[in-house]
Formats: sequence, structure tokens, C-alpha cells
Amino acid sequence: MISQFFVLSQRGDHIVFRDYRGEVPKGSAEIFFRKVKFWNEDEAEEAPPVFNIDGVNYIHVKVAGLYFVVTTMVNISPSLLLELLQRIARVTKDYLGVLNEDSLRKNFILVYELLDEVIDFGYPQTTSTEALKSYIFNEPIMVDAGRMPPLGPAAMFMQGSKRMPGTAVTKSVVANEPGGKKREEIFVDIIEKISVTFSSSGYILTSEIDGTIQMKSYLSGNPEIRLALNEDLGIGRSGSSTHDYRSSSGGGSVVLDDCNFHESVQLDSFDIDRTLHLIPPDGEFPVMNYRMTQEFKPPFRVTALIEEAGPSRAEVLLKIRADFSANVTANTITVQMPVPSYTMRASFELEAGAVGQTTDFKEGSRRLEWNLKKIVGGSEHTLRAKLTFSQESHGNLTKEAGPVNMNFTIPMYNASKLQVRYLQISKKSKTYNPYRWVRYVTQANSYVARL
Amino acid sequence: MSGHDSKYFSTTKKGEIPELKEELNSQYKDKRKDAVKKVIAAMTVGKDVSSLFTDVVNCMQTENLELKKLVYLYLINYAKSQPDLAILAVNTFVKDSQDPNPLIRALAVRTMGCIRVDKITEYLCDPLQRCLKDDDPYVRKTAAICVAKLYDINAELVEDRGFLEALKDLISDNNPMVVANAVAALAEIQESSVRPIFEITSHTLTKLLTALNECTEWGQVFILDSLSRYKATDARDAENIVERVTPRLQHANCAVVLSAVKIILLQMELITSTDVVRNLCKKMAPPLVTLLSAEPEIQYVALRNINLIVQKRPTILAHEIKVFFCKYNDPIYVKMEKLEIMIKLASDRNIDQVLLEFKEYATEVDVDFVRKAVRAIGRCAIKLDRAAERCISVLLELIKIKVNYVVQEAIIVIKDIFRRYPNTYESIIATLCESLDNLDEPEAKASMIWIIGEYAERIDNADELLESFLETFPEEPALVQLQLLTATVKLFLKKPTEGPQQMIQAVLNNATVETDNPDLRDRAYIYWRLLSTDPEAAKDVVLAEKPVISDDSNQLDPSLLDELLANISTLSSVYHKPPEAFVSRVKAAPRADDEEFADAGETGYSESPSQGVDGSSPSSSAGTSSHVPAKQPAAAAPAAPAPIPDLLGDLMGLDNALVPVDEPTATSGPPLPVVLPSTTGQGLQISAQLVRRDGQIFYDISFENGTQGVLDGFMIQFNKNTFGLAAGGPLQVPPLQPGDSSRTLLPMVFSQNVSTGAPNSLLQVAVKNNQQPVWYFNDKGSLHVFFGEDGKMERTSFLEAWKSLPDDNEFSKEFPNSVINSIDATIEHLSASNVFFIAKRRNANMDVLYLSAKIPRGIPFLIELTAAVGVPGAKCAVKTPNREYVPLFFEAMEPLIK
Repeated sequence: MISQFFVLSQRGDHIVFRDYRGEVPKGSAEIFFRKVKFWNEDEAEEAPPVFNIDGVNYIHVKVAGLYFVVTTMVNISPSLLLELLQRIARVTKDYLGVLNEDSLRKNFILVYELLDEVIDFGYPQTTSTEALKSYIFNEPIMVDAGRMPPLGPAAMFMQGSKRMPGTAVTKSVVANEPGGKKREEIFVDIIEKISVTFSSSGYILTSEIDGTIQMKSYLSGNPEIRLALNEDLGIGRSGSSTHDYRSSSGGGSVVLDDCNFHESVQLDSFDIDRTLHLIPPDGEFPVMNYRMTQEFKPPFRVTALIEEAGPSRAEVLLKIRADFSANVTANTITVQMPVPSYTMRASFELEAGAVGQTTDFKEGSRRLEWNLKKIVGGSEHTLRAKLTFSQESHGNLTKEAGPVNMNFTIPMYNASKLQVRYLQISKKSKTYNPYRWVRYVTQANSYVARL
Repeated sequence: MSGHDSKYFSTTKKGEIPELKEELNSQYKDKRKDAVKKVIAAMTVGKDVSSLFTDVVNCMQTENLELKKLVYLYLINYAKSQPDLAILAVNTFVKDSQDPNPLIRALAVRTMGCIRVDKITEYLCDPLQRCLKDDDPYVRKTAAICVAKLYDINAELVEDRGFLEALKDLISDNNPMVVANAVAALAEIQESSVRPIFEITSHTLTKLLTALNECTEWGQVFILDSLSRYKATDARDAENIVERVTPRLQHANCAVVLSAVKIILLQMELITSTDVVRNLCKKMAPPLVTLLSAEPEIQYVALRNINLIVQKRPTILAHEIKVFFCKYNDPIYVKMEKLEIMIKLASDRNIDQVLLEFKEYATEVDVDFVRKAVRAIGRCAIKLDRAAERCISVLLELIKIKVNYVVQEAIIVIKDIFRRYPNTYESIIATLCESLDNLDEPEAKASMIWIIGEYAERIDNADELLESFLETFPEEPALVQLQLLTATVKLFLKKPTEGPQQMIQAVLNNATVETDNPDLRDRAYIYWRLLSTDPEAAKDVVLAEKPVISDDSNQLDPSLLDELLANISTLSSVYHKPPEAFVSRVKAAPRADDEEFADAGETGYSESPSQGVDGSSPSSSAGTSSHVPAKQPAAAAPAAPAPIPDLLGDLMGLDNALVPVDEPTATSGPPLPVVLPSTTGQGLQISAQLVRRDGQIFYDISFENGTQGVLDGFMIQFNKNTFGLAAGGPLQVPPLQPGDSSRTLLPMVFSQNVSTGAPNSLLQVAVKNNQQPVWYFNDKGSLHVFFGEDGKMERTSFLEAWKSLPDDNEFSKEFPNSVINSIDATIEHLSASNVFFIAKRRNANMDVLYLSAKIPRGIPFLIELTAAVGVPGAKCAVKTPNREYVPLFFEAMEPLIK
């Protein structure tokens, strides 16, 4: 079972270190850090999450810029350990509000207290914030969250959008508000990460949505909650041919390939009316994860062209069209395009009247970069670039450049059309009316257009 | 509580300990609590606060749980170093274990189990007995784990006091958390015992399956992993289990899903109905695919497992190849695994799609990934004969981009395609030949040469092409030389004309006379004799039809595959190695009983070297005491086998036997450093040092017998070390009479048995003889014995190498005590140690020397030495691609410049 658990900063400093079995030789944290830092010096490769050095197995994840690591001497389930590390990070975040070096150091006694309840003699015991509350006595000390980049997908709600109560996401689940009484509220976030690959001719080669319904409850007394999804939601593709989804796209109903649920979710009526019943535990947790390869309308169309313009010159044309309604706005858009390795210079030409757009030629990685602060639905933007080469091209520009990769966040938009029809909280009294926040957001995961 | 915990870190002024002592004894509760927090803070940053033991323990008797927990945390850390004082805490522990508050009861029993002090262990038994039958499930689940802790400290006690039975009773507990912990504890105990302790009967099976639905996700994994050891009686039984486990596939926790997959795969072997099997395969696919939506770390583990699953049951994911297409932002370790699975799932039906992907990957930025993509195309060509032509045309397209490493990789795979489909695709040879001049990687060169030799009769200018390679024959790596030799012979046999005849003579001459590579020489002699005795026979041999190859790269041996599949969801399935290959804690074989062990401890089986050698032993804080209690009751242990050879084998991790002693040789020389003093060696003194003579490394070792009797049967073994040094022959030491001594030079060789981790010059040695226990000692060799005779560099290549290495790889160090009295003498002295002079220049009043050295595996050191003649102090700067060797290098260099 688990021998040691530790958290290291990016510089390799010990932030937390707990030995549960005293069987791993000293210096494991240093050995780990050296290995991860210099995994493959010339290739700048990342170390895999599981490796073995001199009989000690090291399993790690990176959360919020920190290394969460466990060591073990036996042949146990690495996915258990990886899940556990993620869960420890989440529980700690629930308690501390923000997860970073500073908050961990300030609260080290609380963190050790947590670790003693979460793991005993190397065996995971419980990672539910709710269950842990009865055993934890230290109160968290808040750190100033203002400057800290928050953790997790819900963080995207913090960006510029004034509709969202920004501090809520970095609020500790257990700590009392300075005013004394806690605000009764619950957040339900439908977060979708989409992956699309366009062929050079603009066809969709692959498309996929990885979605999560994430919940974070600050409700007192743990009332029961009913969460209703699309009535005609289908689960499981009927056939299994890779092209099968095309046939189902006409129907208009949402069909998920697969989904799974948090253990607190009661599925008794799910098959009948697509309603989830649950008593949400404290803390942040995914109510449901789902995956969909059914055809959907991609939010952006990307077209990229590269053409020779003389012996050692080329022209690039990038065009993006926002295929969503005009009352939705995407933000923090980045478009990147690798160019031939012998590119020396690039000059850019933005469209007339462009606002909030920047361009850059990253010489080190030979990439064009185009940043747009926001894109309103229905609009179209183009960028032209002229490249100068240090040698004549091999006449194969499309093979040496690309693919174009795009990153974006679109709040209040979801590609899958999965909806929360209603969120019902069983009432304690007539006046009880907690705040309910149902928020949608779509992010690019791997959004690629080939040349 | 108020304020910031971090303030506890900031007290660094003098007299910290007395100050804390005072605060710990304060009459105010809050002050005491704050003081304990400060102590813990000091402890976590590694300060020694053990002197406050009594004062901290005095704070233990409190109703305040927060404070109590802190004191317990302190106790766990320091009880071992203060065993006598730890007894003071026992009363409170025992009292706490009967406290009305269940949290305190559980806390007491949890903490006591973590204090590995024998005297405390005895007091643990009664509270543990009570807590195992406690009314509160939280206490019972903590007690269950505590049994495993106690078993680890004193197995005999656990069995004598009937804790195993109590643990088994907990399997029927009504609380699933308790069941899960009891299962985990029993599984661990079973793991370290050879006797059957925890067997899953049909009765326990029912209980476990019931608990499975209710317990936490972690408990589900414990239970599922235990269930995987259950052998179903028949197909019905197996189907029944699978039916109960299948709902776990819907769990959001990937560990639960993978553990469930493991059980289903295992039970499927027994299920006879093809319908049921097909249905199960269908059910497993979506959850397996969903694992790929998790964090990249989990994806990696899932992919390594899926790799095994598709080798056994390709149908499960046959239609899901798209989900393995690489995403733009996948980490490289995920991309590599996806590629491997794509090859495994490639079929005639999806090959067009797959090729399109591979082609795209082959133009990406990451070199390793690109190479693997190119290789993947070749492997698909070999695997799918109907797609071979399409694969080749993709390869040709890639070659046309003229990215050097893509071309070379393509040529390597095309060679394999020619092997697989002989006489089918030679038309493309012309295209390949266009890239001939750009080949600089040995494997690509060798492949191209093989192609030319194999098809010499169809290539008009084959002789010219080969001749161009022959010019550089002596400088080529062995791989290329061997191919050149064979290709020239083929050419000669196919076109026995004048040109090839001259070529073959030149090659054979080169390969027999001017090489020191035995493989090359032997192969050349064989060809030579064949050609000179019977050219027809030579034709039959050299041009014989070759067996057809198939794509079995990265395909596992069936028996290994089955073993790994039985270990799905474990580390073993990620490493693709059986557990015994990396887990050092194996089942405790019947061990020698307590006394013998204690004896060994006293008589000089000194613990520090043994712990250094055996990476798995407890950290140094765990003294001999943890060795003393045997894992097995003495009575159960059959006649203990002679422990010494076993121990050696275990410690060294080598399977070759000890090298026996042959006849003696006498050597003399300057006195050697003592590595094993006679006080430690019970009268035997060993002195030794690594030396280099005539390009060979020896272990210069001398034995001095200070005992009363004859010592004979000396053997020696070296542990894995950075350079893979091992004995190159038997240790030759004659029987030593009392008072006698003997010195010998043991030749050393470089083996494959290289230790990983940061390089060090540590040599761990074990020596035994027939009369004494095994002696372990550490010797520290200096890096300079590894400096090879081939370390001299040409001026130009030195300059090029210096420039090509980034400045990050430059390190420098002052040698304050080194004095150079004469440049020439220094150069001569250094070159005798294989540090070769390249150039020098003067800079102001300083002399700057440029030198080079080389250690095994071709690691060069480029050295710049700056000093003023006659003035103490020299500055040594070094550049090397392998910066981890730099500290060792400086260590070796300093004494050379005296």
C-alpha cells in the first residue's frame, strides 16, 4: 500500500511530507524530483505519471503547479493512487478555499490532520469532504485568493464575467463567513470540453465532447436535490460502427456514448424521466461525467491556407467563423499555427478595425500565434501573414506547416445541447430560497484544423 | 484558532528549545497548544525537537482533541528514538482507548499501531481486542487496519492473540467500511505469509459482493482486488460474479472501473457461452473508452492496460479506433501509447483512416513521436498485406519532404517491408537511393546497405553505391560494418566481376586484420573460408531464402501476457512486467528464527551497509529491532536453509552464482586503503582499491587473516553500480593461515547490470569465505579509473564538440590546493591518467590548458584548466553532455592536479 505521500513545489521544496509505513529509504522526494525534472533533458519530455526507481514506485499528478506524489513498494492499483491524489487535492481545496503553496503552508497542521483521516497505514479511508467534517477539528486559515489563479474548470467563470459571484468558487466549504451566517447557495456547472479535427478540406474527421456536471453545494442541512436533464436523452450508441452516429444526428435528441455518476446519485427514476436524485455532500464533486461522439455543430469553423509567394516566401491566410448565436461571446481565443522550421520572419496583417487582437511569431517554436480577446457569435475574423524563409521550400509547404490549433472558452454555451431542465431543492420552510447557479461553459480541448 | 500557522516557522532566534519547553509547561491551555504547534512545525522542517519529548507527552492528557492529535503526531515521529520515554505515554493510550468519545478511542488505537516500539506493542493487545468489538464502526474500522500494523511489527503476537479470527469475523460486519478495511488488512497479511490465512470461500464471496454495493469507492477497490483471487467453481459461478460486478463499470472512479474489468476478464475465461462473452465485451468497451476522458495521468494507466486487453481480446475495442487518435494537447507519454494501440487495432477496414492519421503525425514537431509514427506505418504494412502498397506510398510521400530523420526512419521500416514481401516493391529503390548521402544514423545506413546488397543484381550501380560507403569502413559503427561486409559478399556472389572482387578483398582485409571487434572478425573469417573453399556453398548460405517476418515487435509472449492480464489495474500492467520483477517485498519465506538474526546483528552483520545494499529495507531510523521479530512463528519455520548465499542473491539482485576461488596469484604494490577493518571483520582485514592497468580495470584487493584459524573459500560479488562493474573472473585467494595475507588483482568487466539513479562512484561489495559470515563493505572508486585510453580528441572535433554543447552543460570548480609547477610535467602526468592534452594558450599570467577524457558508454569530458605556474589554485571548467557525472568528475580530477 501507500508508503509515503508528499507535495513538492515546482522548485522541489517539500510542502507536505507524510510517511505511513517507514519502508522507503530516505531521500525519496529528492530522487523523485530529480527524475521528473530531468526525465529526458534534450527532448523536454514530460515524465510519465508512474515509474519505478530502485524498487520504489513513484506515482504523481500535477495540480495547481504542485507535484502530488505517493510512493509504494508493492504492486497495487496505480489508478487508485492517481484518483486518490486528485481527490486529496480536491478535499484540500474544499477546506482551504484555494490550493497553492501558500495556503498549504499556512494550514499545514490542518493538512496533516486531513491526511491522517484520509489515509491510514497506507490505505485510503475516505475522501469525502462531508464525511471528513466529523473528524477534523482545525479551522482553515484563508489566504488572499485575489492574486491566486484558481483551480479547476469552474475557474473559467472568474474570467471577466460579472454575472458570476467570483469569490464563491474560492470559498472554503467548511469555514464560516466572516459575517457569521453562511450564504445558502448551490452551483451546478455543465462543463464541456470539445475535441474536433477538421480535414484539410474542412470535413470533420473526429469530434468528441467530454462533459461533466459539476456541483458545489453550500447548502446547510443537506437537502435533497432533483436535477432534471433532457427528457429524450439517450445513452449508448445502438450500433458500434465508427460512422454510426451520423444516422442518429437527424433526430435532434441528445445521445451520449457513455456516462457515469457520483456515488451519491440515486438513479431510480433516471431511466423513466431522466432525473437525478441526490443529497449533495459538501464540497465540489462531479455529479455526472459523460462522453459524446454524436455529431454536433462545432462552434468555430477554421480555414487555413499556406501558399508559396516567390522562391523563399509564403503567405498564410487564417480565417475563423463563429457559428453560434450573437448573444453568446467566446473569450480568450488563441489560434496557433506551426510554420516550416526554416521560417525566419513573419509579418502580420490584421483585418481593418480589429480590436483586442494581437499577433506574434514565436521564433523558438516556429509558430504563429493569434490572440483574440473575444469573438461575438456570427462574426468572422481573418489574419494574413507573410513568411520569409532562410532557404527555398521543398515545395511541400502544407506538410511542413500546421496543423492549426485553437483554444477558446465560451461561457453560457454548450455544444452537446444537454440541458439541466430544472434544479429542485426540497424546501425546509416557505422562506427557504437558496441561490441556484446553473452555468454552462464550453472549452476547446483539442480543436485542430489540418492543412 | 487565530493567526497564521506559518508564524510557527519563524522562530529562529537563540534558545528556541528552552523557550518552547517553558511554553509547553505553561498553565494556560492555549499557550500549550500553540507551543505544541510550534514543535510540530519545527519537526516537519526537519529540526530535532526530540529533547522536548517529556514536555510534549505531558500535554497529552487533555480533552481537547486538536491538541491530542498534535501530541500523537509528535509521538509517532519520536517514539522510536526515545523508546523508554514512550512508555510514559502508554497509560494515556490505554485510558484513551476506553474513552466515551469514539473519536478518541479510534485515535488511540490508530496511533499506538504506528509506534513501532516493542514495549508499547505489548500494551496494544488489550485495547485492540476491545476496539475490534467496539460499538462504533469508526473504531472498528480503525482497529481492523491496526491488526495489519501489528502483524507487520510482530506477526506471532497477532496469531497468538487470535486477532486473525477477529479480523475474519469483521468480514461479516454490518458496516461496509469495516468490511473493506478488514479485507484490506487480511489481504496484506496474506501477502506476507506463506500459510493460507485469507481464503475466499463461497460464503465470504456472498458477503463481499453484498458489501461491494455499499462501501466507499476505495473500499470497493480493496474488495474487488481480493475477489480477483477467487477461483470460480464453474461457468455458472463465474457468470454470477460477473453479473454482480458489472454495475461497477459505471463508477466515476477509474480505479473501481479497472478493478472490475480485471475480474470480468478473469471470469470470462471460465464462461462457455459465446453470447455471454460477446455481451460482456460489448459492455466493457464504453467504460474503457471513457477512461480516456479522465486526466492524462489516468489515461496513461488506462492505455497501458488497454494495450494488454486488446492483445488478448481485440474484439472489445475493434470498432473504437477513433478514440485512440492523438489529440493536439495530449502529453507525449499519452501519444506514444495511443500510437501503439492504433497499430494493434489497425485492420483492412480502418487502415485508410489510420494511415491518414499517421501521415499527419509524421509531420509534427516532436522528433520521437514522428519517428514512432513513421515506424507505425511500416508495421501496418507488415501486418496487413492488402494495405502494404498504400503504406509504402505514404512512406514515399514522407521521404519526399526530405526531413532527415523522417527519411532515415522510413528507410529502416522499408527494409522490414522488403523482408516481409520479397521481390515485390523494388521499384522504389531508386527513390531511396536519392537520399543516400544524407544518412547519418547507423541503423538507417545499415538498412540501406542491406537493401543494396539484397537487390544488388537489380541495382545497376550497386557496386558504386557500396564503394562509396566502403571508404569510411574503419570509422563506421559495428552495426554498419557488419552490414557492409555481408552486402559486399552478396554483391560479389551475384556479380563476380573485377570491381566487386577488389572490394571484397579490401573489406575482408579490413574486417579481419584492422578491427578489434570479434563479431566482425569472426564473420569475415567465415565468409573468407566459405568463398575460398566452395563458392557455390557460399551462395547457398549467403543468398539463402530468408524466413518471412511478421510484426511481432511490442507483442508480448503469451504466457507473460496472461500473467499481466491477471494483474490488470496494477503497477505490473503499467510496466508490462510481472510483479516479481520490481517488487522486492516478496512473501517471507521461512526465515531463520529470532536468535540467529539477533546473533547476526551482534557479530557484525552491520546494519548500515546492508541497508545501503538492500533498497527495500526500512529507512535508517528503523534499527535492528525491526529485523528481530520474524514474520513467521519460529515453530512454523522448517529447517532454515543456509541463509548466507540466499541473502547474497537477494541483496545483490543478481542471479549468477558466486565466483568460486581458483588458484592463487601473488601481487604486490603500494599499500591499499582498508575497506573492512579487522575489528569489523572478526579478525579478517580487507584492503582494496579500483585500479587501471593497460586499459583494463582491476580490483586490487588484499586479505589479512588475523583470526585464529584458517580462512578459505573466498568469493566476491559486486552489487549493481553506476557503471555496471562486475567481477570478470574468479577471485584467486589461497587458503589463508592465521597471520597470513594475500593480495590479488581481480579483473573487472562491464556488465549490463547497471544501477539507475544518479551516478555515483560507490561500489558495494560482498565477500564471503567458508568460516565467517558474509562481509559487506562500501568502496568508493574514483572516476579516473574509468577514463579510457580512447579519450583523446582531435583539436577540431574538440572545438566542434565544445561549441555544440549548450552553456548549461558547462560547470567549473576551483581546486584551491592544486599547484602546477610545470606545464609539461602536468600534461604528461595527466595523459598517464588518460586525460589527454589538446591545446594550450596564455591569458595574462595564466596558462589555459584544454584537455579531454572519456568514460565508458562514450561519455566525453571537455576540460579547460586555468592556473598560474607555481601559484596554488587552479580552475577547472568542464563541458559534457552528461552533466550528472560532473560532481564525480571533479572529485576525480582534483587529486590528479597536485
